Order: sequence, then structure tokens, then C-alpha cells
Amino acid sequence: MRMNRRTLSRLVVAALLLVLLALLLSGCETDTPKNTFAAQGEVARDQRNLFYMAMWPAIVVMAFVELGLVVTLLRFRRRRAEEVPRQVHGNTRLELAWTIAPAIILLILAVPMMSLLFKLGREPHKDDFVVNVTGVQWQWLFEYPDLKGADGSTLKSAPGDPVIFPAGREIRFNVTSMDVIHSFWIPRLGGKLDAVPSRHNRFWLKADQPGTWSGQCAEFCGKDHANMKLVAEALSQADFDAWLKEKQAGVKEFDGAAAAVPTSAP
Amino acid sequence: MATAIGRQRSGLAEALRAAREAAADGRGIWSWLATVDHKRIGTLYGFTALFFFVLGGIEALLIRIQLARPESTILNADQYNRIFTMHGTTMVFLVVMPLSAAFFNLLVPLMIGARDVAFPRLNAFSYWTFLAGGLFLNASFFTGGNIFHGDLGAPDTGWFGYSTLTSTKFSHGHGVDFWVFGLQILGIASLAGGFNFIVTILNMRAPGMSLFRMPLFVWMALVTSFLIVFAMPVIAVALFELMFDRLFGALFFEPAAGGNPLLWQHMFWLFGHPEVYILILPAMGIVSEILPTFSRKPLFGYPFVVFSGVAIGFMSWGVWVHHMYTTGLGTVANAAFGVSTIMIGVPTGVKIFNWMATLWGGAIRLNTPLLFAVGFVGMFTIGGLSGITHSMVPSDYQQQDTYYVVAHFHYVLFGGAVFALFGGAYYWFPKFTGKLMNETLGQINFWTLLLGFNMTFFPMHMSGLLGMPRRIYTYSEGQGWDLWNLMSSVGAFIIAFSVAVFIVNLVLSIMRGQKSGADPWDGRTLEWSLPSPVPHYNFAEIPHVHARDDFWHRKYTEDEAGRPIPVVAGGSDGHEEPDGHGIHLPSPSYFPLLASVGFPVIATGLIYDYALVPVGAALLLVGLYGWAMEPATEEAL
Repeated sequence: MRMNRRTLSRLVVAALLLVLLALLLSGCETDTPKNTFAAQGEVARDQRNLFYMAMWPAIVVMAFVELGLVVTLLRFRRRRAEEVPRQVHGNTRLELAWTIAPAIILLILAVPMMSLLFKLGREPHKDDFVVNVTGVQWQWLFEYPDLKGADGSTLKSAPGDPVIFPAGREIRFNVTSMDVIHSFWIPRLGGKLDAVPSRHNRFWLKADQPGTWSGQCAEFCGKDHANMKLVAEALSQADFDAWLKEKQAGVKEFDGAAAAVPTSAP
Repeated sequence: MATAIGRQRSGLAEALRAAREAAADGRGIWSWLATVDHKRIGTLYGFTALFFFVLGGIEALLIRIQLARPESTILNADQYNRIFTMHGTTMVFLVVMPLSAAFFNLLVPLMIGARDVAFPRLNAFSYWTFLAGGLFLNASFFTGGNIFHGDLGAPDTGWFGYSTLTSTKFSHGHGVDFWVFGLQILGIASLAGGFNFIVTILNMRAPGMSLFRMPLFVWMALVTSFLIVFAMPVIAVALFELMFDRLFGALFFEPAAGGNPLLWQHMFWLFGHPEVYILILPAMGIVSEILPTFSRKPLFGYPFVVFSGVAIGFMSWGVWVHHMYTTGLGTVANAAFGVSTIMIGVPTGVKIFNWMATLWGGAIRLNTPLLFAVGFVGMFTIGGLSGITHSMVPSDYQQQDTYYVVAHFHYVLFGGAVFALFGGAYYWFPKFTGKLMNETLGQINFWTLLLGFNMTFFPMHMSGLLGMPRRIYTYSEGQGWDLWNLMSSVGAFIIAFSVAVFIVNLVLSIMRGQKSGADPWDGRTLEWSLPSPVPHYNFAEIPHVHARDDFWHRKYTEDEAGRPIPVVAGGSDGHEEPDGHGIHLPSPSYFPLLASVGFPVIATGLIYDYALVPVGAALLLVGLYGWAMEPATEEAL
């Protein structure tokens, strides 16, 4: 009877853990618009792989601790009211082991972390395609400093326009804000970078293939933070050239920044 | 000497004297308003925090109702932002911190063999100032117009209050002003408490209670108090700068004038990360008391657990930038803080393993306090491990500011701190009431909380990894978030049910709980040597301490094989119990309460009308003056 119950509870716990794991994994490869697992660019892929490198050992440790707790509780539960166990005060060697072993494991994890950190944070390549990103309550404005319009002025997006860039090339984003702190994020291409007024942060992303992805502001920025979305579009070189030509053909210039200012004022 | 002081007493103090004497007999509301007894102050802290817990919980339910389905319109953006701001602020400053303060107050003097804290009136001042700050902060709800029409006036900038959103340009109304002054007042309360407990623990220990004989909870109280004393001034400075920006047009955080919005983040998180450990270390202390008692084994590796706690205290000052990885501080800064963040996992891991080893080989009694303590270890582990994934800087660029973070810190602060605090409540309730809490309701409380908690917060890992940002009041469907959010919302109501069971249990057990006797759990530390409820003087005779877990050693000795055998007629029974006659305890005083009332009046004055400032200042000064001039112990009593 006791044996049965113990087996049963172990089965229940194991089943629960399996369900959790299944739930966890079900998110991994789905094609939802902001799924950080479904990477479609070099940066997002590297970040996901690094995450896995920390996540799998974490799941193993979690299973060990949770199962260990359940087994301990069942095995050492008090059976007689007067039962008093041997008084063990500690074991220095064991404790040193479980201090040093995690430290070593964690420092090993720090190696790929460092290498990716410095890869993502490196100086821009000369031939990067550059996009200046400006956050303003509650929209994103894009400027292409290397592209000139028909009148020779810098090409800018209108409010609500997607950010356009060529696929397969490294894109350098210079990110800033005109009012409060925002955070520029296209999950399927890579992690986010804050848009801080008076600071010019920069990072790079790269899309493997042409495609369209959604992103949204990730730093709380006031009333309509939830609605501060953006669309990113990577075009093949041919489509990109066509888009640029169309832009330069003189659909009238729109000064996005100037148009946006009144909405941010109190 | 006493008569000389008596003659100098102000007229107000004379008028209060009769009431003080009425208060001294320990009955009625007046005795609570004037109390300086650490047990009563602890009780006040506990019930006040429970009230705010319900309030913050209602805010959490509103959040979960709004997010249960995509495109929900139950709350509008403005209401949602104010409610999530108040939820976070309330749970951190008005629930977990004061609940820890409640346990410090109730237990530290008993555990170290003292009759009270070092500064009983300062202790009362801490409580009243906390209450004043908490009520003041929540009063902001009423400043937005008609609250019954849904016009909320509470702060709308998040509990972290990032500049420049908190400037008068982007935050309208007085919500943020109330937030600034509310936190400032709460900081005063915390500082006073921090100093009080440092002095109490260092100076008031019974003879023989060396530092390494102190119960682990007292150690954690000591580390926490030091963290409070060093961390609170940091946020105080930040809040003063914000106050000057908002009230007097200073430009600390105004980028157009060369101010730096990131300065706020540095100061906030330089406070904020130690703050996380201020919230969690007391819980670790509670668990380190419950596990040994219920396994009938000493804490495994006491020195390791103490030193890892101290190490966490120091290291907590070197990890704050992990809240700022995506602010663009640069690769080198992120690398340094990434490694320090990884390494803070080590002392935390040590504690987990030591707790497991404490249980291993024990004779574990599976009662409610033990279940909550084990629940703490299990849930905190998950929070710690997701913390490790966060410390991977480049992959954290993805998880920063998503629901993955929300899952992480709720596993740490709810699955961690709150579980332990519940366990502590069940464990020590008999000590202060002489009654046991109902075990059946306790079991229901635990299992529903475990279920509801995991159902609410585990799915948030998923919604976060699927790209759901935090602090959004709405989301559109088709992003893979719907199911996870619905699960979280259902879970939140299971938590609410569980908390309701706890409150019912609390009320029923106070009214007609089963008698517990002095030592219902076969406890190890000094408080269990006292009668339950504890007499107001605590120890009729100050004990002499001969060992760690002194009370256990009075009850059990060891045979040659190291097996513990009960001492015949052991414990506190057997030897004759002197009564408390002739023990001089500090007299009750109204002055701490009077002084505390001054703070919100000053704050209201600064926000609305400077004329109120001198009124509040006068209250504060009269309170402090009366307090300074009043004799600590009334010889007549």
C-alpha cells in the first residue's frame, strides 16, 4: 500500500514535469510573429543558441532539485512521533564541492556568453547598411543616412511606415529617442536596444532572407506603450533597388520627425 | 533626575499622561496606539502588510482580468498603467518588506534572549511612519478626479519610475509626486528599523549567545538590516533629485539641459538590487528555521549558510547593471556585470543544497509550515535558474522587459519570499497566540497556492519567450500569447482563493484555534522555551546560552553513538517559573505616532500648498521633542 502510493506520487510528479517540458517545447518552433526561438537572422539565432546553452543545464538542475525534494520528503517523513534522527551538522568536503562545482559550471557558461557579447558589440563594418531609429511617443521613425531623396535630402520614413532594409546584409541601427525611454525590438531578428534621449546607441541585426516581421516597443513609455509597434521589411537586392527608385522618384518628402512632435506634447 | 525631567515636560505631554497610564495596562485601542512592545509592533506590521497584500492582490487580479483575452477593454490604458504601477510598488514596499519587518519584530528579541529591541520607541516610530507612507501612497488613487468613474490618480510610471517619463512634461497629475514622497517616507521607516535591528542584534544578545550561536534567522535579519541602511539612502538621493526636478524645476534628469536619464536607472538599481535581497534574505532565514525544526536535525552546514548569506549581501552591490543590459552602456560594462551576476548564483545555490541536505536523513513532519518552506526551496530554485539564463547578457537582450522577467521575479519573490512568509506565519502563530492554526485549511492553503502560483507564473516564461513585452495593457491575437495569458489569469484566481483560505484560517484560529502549548513543533531556538502567548516581558529571567540551538540541547542529550535522547523533564517545564514582577519595561508613548503623522502632512504641503509644511514640521518636532524629553521608563509603572 505504502509502496503503491509512493510509486503513484512519483508518477504524478514525473507526469507533471513532462507536461511542463512539453508545454515549454511547444513554444520553440512555432511560427508566431514575435517568437524569439524562431530566429530568422544571425543575431537572433546566436542569442537563441546561447539561451539553450543556459536553459538545458537549468532544466536538469531544476529536475534534480524538485525530484530530490519530493523523494526526500517521502523517504524521510516522520513515521513515529518520537522519532529523532542522527544529528548531522554538516560536511565541509561536500559543501565545498557544491560551492565550487556550480562556480566552475557557471564560469564555463561565461565563455560562450563573452564571445557572443563581444561579437554583437563589435564596431560597425564600413559597408553596413545604416538606419537611424528614433522613438517618439508612441511611434518609430526611420531615417536612411546613406540614401538620398530626389532633392538630395536624407531619405526618411513617414510615421507608420515599415523600416526597410536589404536582406542578407548587416544592418547598423543607430537608436535614440526624442522624449522618454523606448526600446527598439524585432524579436525574430535579434534582441532589443533602448532608445534613450540624448544617447545614440547602436547595434547590428541581419535578416537571412527577405521577409516581414513585427516588433514593438519593449520599454514602458507611457499611456500607449502597448500600441507602439513597428514592422520591419527585409527586401531582396532587386526589390530594394526598386523600392529606393520609387522613393527617389519623388513621392513628396515627408518629415516624419516634425510631424510627430505635436503628438508627444502634453 | 526623573522629577527634573518631569518638570520640564511640555503641556501636551502632561495632557497625554493620563492616556499613557490607561495604555500601560495593555488593553484597548489606546494601548495599541502607544505601544512600544516589539510583539505588538510586529503584530501591527503583520496585519497592515496583510491588508496591503489584499490591496495589491486586487490590483493583480485587475491586471490578469484585463490580460486574460486579447484586445480586452475592461481597463483602459491609463487605468492599467496606474494599477500595475501600484501593484509593484505595493507588493515590494508595503507587503514583503513590512512582513519581513513583522517577523524581525516578533522574533529577533525572543531569539536572542532580550526583553525588547534596543530602541522601542524608535521601533514604534518605524511602524507608524510605514503606515503613514503606505496610506499616503495609496491616497494618490483619489487625486485623479472621481474614482467611482474610473478616474484614478495613482502614479503611472511603473514601480521603477524611469526618467524621463517621471518628469512633469510626460507624467500628468500628482501621482508621481505621491509616489516620490510615499517612498521617501517609507524609506525613513525602513532606515529607523534597520538601525534598530543592527543595534539590537549586536548589543542585546543574552549571555553566551555569540554571533555563531545566533539562529540563522537572526543572521539574515542582521544582513538585511545592513543592506537597508546602505541601500535606502541611495534611493533617497534619487527621489530627492526627482522631487527637485518636479517641484522646483531642477534638471537632474532633463537631457535637453545636459541631465542624464540613465543616472536615475543607475541609482534606482544600485538601490534596487540590494532591495531584492532585502526582500529574500529574511525569507531564507525563516526557511532555515523551519526546515531543521520539522526534520529534527540541525541546519546542515550552518557556517556555509551564514557566510553565503553574507556573501550575497556584499555581492548584491555589484550586479545592478543587469537591469540595464539593453540601455547601451557598452560591451565591457555588460561583460563585467554579466560575470558578477553569474557568480551571485553560487552562494544562492549553496543555500539550496544545504537546505536539501538538512531535510535528507531527517524525521520530517509534513505540516503546513514545512510544506511552505519546501515550497519556497522548490520555487525559489526555478526563479534562481531563470536568473542564470538572464545573466547570459546577449541572450538576455531578447528576454529583457518581456514576461520571462515577470515569471523570473515572481518565482523569486512570490514562490520564494511569500511562500516562506506564509510558512513563517503558520510556524510562529502558536508562539504569539497560544493556539495552532487549522491544519486542514493550512494544507488547502498550501496546495492551492502551489497550483495557482505555478499556473499563473509558469506560462509567463512562455509568453515572454514568444515575445510578449511587459507592461502592455493590451495585445492582439495571433501572436501565440492567448493560451498562456488565459492560463495565468485563471491561476491568479486560484491564488486569490488560496489567500482567502489563509485569511479565514487566520481569523478562525485566532477565535478558536486548538491550544498549542509552549513548544508545539519541538523547536530548537529560545523563543520556544517561553510560554505561549509570550508574556509582555518575554524572559522572566534572561537565559544563559550554552550552544547553538540552545533550547534543543536543553531537551535532548546525545548517547555515545551520537544518537539524541530526550532529557527527562527537559525544556522549560520542571524548573520554577518566576513571574515578571519587578521587571521594568519601556513605558508606552504617543510621541512616535505624533512624529510620524508629521511626514504625510509635510508631503501634502509640498505637493499642494506650502502652508501645510510648517504644520507637518511642527507635528514632527513636537513628537521628536516630547519623545526626547520623556523618560523611557515611568518609575510609577
